[in-house]
Amino acid sequence: MVRTSELKKHFKDPKTGIKKAVDGVTFEAHPGRILGLLGVNGAGKTTTLRMLSTIIKPTSGIAEVGGYDVLKEPERVRASIGFMSTSTALYGRMTPKELIEYFGGLYGLEGGHLRERIAYVREKLQLGEFEDRLCDKLSTGQKQRVNIARTILHDPPVLFFDEPTVGLDVVSSQSVMEFIEEARTNGKTVIFSTHIMSEVERLCDEIVVVHDGMAKGQGTVATLLESTGQPTLEKAFLAMVGFQSTYAGRAS
Amino acid sequence: MRMTFHVFKKESRDILRDKRVLRMAFIMPIFLVAMMMSLFGFLTTAISKTHGQIVYVVKTKNPAEKLIVQKPFEVVEIPDVSTGRKLIREGKAHIVLSYGEMKPDGQTVIDAYVDPKEQTSQIALAMVSKLYDVHNKKKLETLLEENRLPLSSEEVYKVRQQDVSVGEQAGASDILIGILPYLIVMYAFYGGMSIAADMIAGEKEKNTLETLLISPAHRTNIVLGKFLALATVCLISSLSCFLGLVLVAAVKPPGTAEMMKGGFGVTPMAFFVTMIVLMPLVAFFASALVAISSFARNSREAQTYLTQFSFVIILPAMFSQFIGYTDMGHSQWINFIPVLNAANNIRMALMGRVDMTSLAITIGVSLVIALIALRITVKLFNKEEVLVRV
Repeated sequence: MVRTSELKKHFKDPKTGIKKAVDGVTFEAHPGRILGLLGVNGAGKTTTLRMLSTIIKPTSGIAEVGGYDVLKEPERVRASIGFMSTSTALYGRMTPKELIEYFGGLYGLEGGHLRERIAYVREKLQLGEFEDRLCDKLSTGQKQRVNIARTILHDPPVLFFDEPTVGLDVVSSQSVMEFIEEARTNGKTVIFSTHIMSEVERLCDEIVVVHDGMAKGQGTVATLLESTGQPTLEKAFLAMVGFQSTYAGRAS
Repeated sequence: MRMTFHVFKKESRDILRDKRVLRMAFIMPIFLVAMMMSLFGFLTTAISKTHGQIVYVVKTKNPAEKLIVQKPFEVVEIPDVSTGRKLIREGKAHIVLSYGEMKPDGQTVIDAYVDPKEQTSQIALAMVSKLYDVHNKKKLETLLEENRLPLSSEEVYKVRQQDVSVGEQAGASDILIGILPYLIVMYAFYGGMSIAADMIAGEKEKNTLETLLISPAHRTNIVLGKFLALATVCLISSLSCFLGLVLVAAVKPPGTAEMMKGGFGVTPMAFFVTMIVLMPLVAFFASALVAISSFARNSREAQTYLTQFSFVIILPAMFSQFIGYTDMGHSQWINFIPVLNAANNIRMALMGRVDMTSLAITIGVSLVIALIALRITVKLFNKEEVLVRV
């Protein structure tokens, strides 16, 4: 389970003084369910996930992952999560096999358990055909498979996906989404950050609309449509974030 | 510790697969030492060479000219001084001699026209002067004998060189003593510099750092693993200079015979001193390199900072080449100046002189600086504002 309460992250900005990247976000994500963080670029989704992953510390508020406080027990939080994003690269001069072994070691896996988990992800993601090739030489789809393998190697109960399909073709995106669906089936707590409405509609059991660092609405797709009185999720989203067209023709 | 070693192993493998590092940190110092040895050897040979030196002489009937002709100079006659001046201005002649009339007392004044800024002219002038000095000496000895005066009257005060052996007998050649400490210290830094930018700033840029930061490994373990890998590269790169020497000694490329006439030149003691002086120095360099890489937003920014920082290293290292021309090499205060102290101790060790006090101060100073730098580096890597600023 993941829980945040009034979670805030303020950065010092030399130009504007303080930049409120996240300004009081509260939500709960549960095992076997996918929580979507829906928002435009710069809304605060990635900063929220970074706080939950202990990469950065919250300015205030509470954040718990798998029952561990991100400030008090960061190592345990990190051992409980898997994090994946399209922008996350692989080490180009390592082979997938070496890379997975390396991350296994970082996650404290060793001996028979490590071999067992490597065999599992190898089989699951069909890495065998390219596991001895340098990561630099892999195709985007193959890299994505290695990335997934790295994410699930230590069998974390909580998974974070930060815009995992951006820049991927239809086939690769499909594989990623199937993988996320399977994680839900396996009882994982999943937080999925995106700005793509169709993905949210397909995957998310619950949605938190994030805008300007704040949660503007929360609920299932149906409840969001109902509360905004809009026919589509896209229009409901725009209504929640207070979108006003800047296109002169429409405005007049 | 186990996690630090795990990161170290991965970083080392990554480094060894980087062709740029192999070229810059491991092959380049070997090549550079071999090349410099050949070059300096060639220059030394060229400077001491008398055969084939061309001397332009204004046509004369003065018998003093015969001395030049008899010696292994190649003499070219020219009609007048103005032709000689022209040849010098055009860079075609190093020296032009014009013989005056022999005076009644037997003296002949020889005007030697040279370009004072041209080193080859200075060398030619020294050779011609030496030739006539020898002749003058002989002439004086004959006169002294004829007048039944003792030959010692020629030199009322005679200075005689008496060598006093200091330190080990098998020392390196002068040129090697001059350049090797500089190269060793320089490559302790430049070897690591070739990969430092990629190590953390590069990981920020490629977004691989986040995957490391979200692993349960403690950030201190991660940065120490990277530091150890970089320090190893710095040390190997620096020691590659010795490998260059071994290569020169084995292959004996043209020109190096002069440089190695005393043998390999590096005694086991000199090598040992170099190693113990290098250890804390590479720790300092590696810490500084990792700190800069942590601070930079991307590889490019890291390269800019590293280049600026390299001047701080290169200046004292360069000075070590010329320290032999001053008394500073023996002063104790020099052991308190980072980088220069290490280079100077290596230099002294190559000369076969090891001063335990100097060595202890140098190692102590380098160690303190390395520990401070490492502490700053670890702090920096644990600082969120530094690590995630993009």
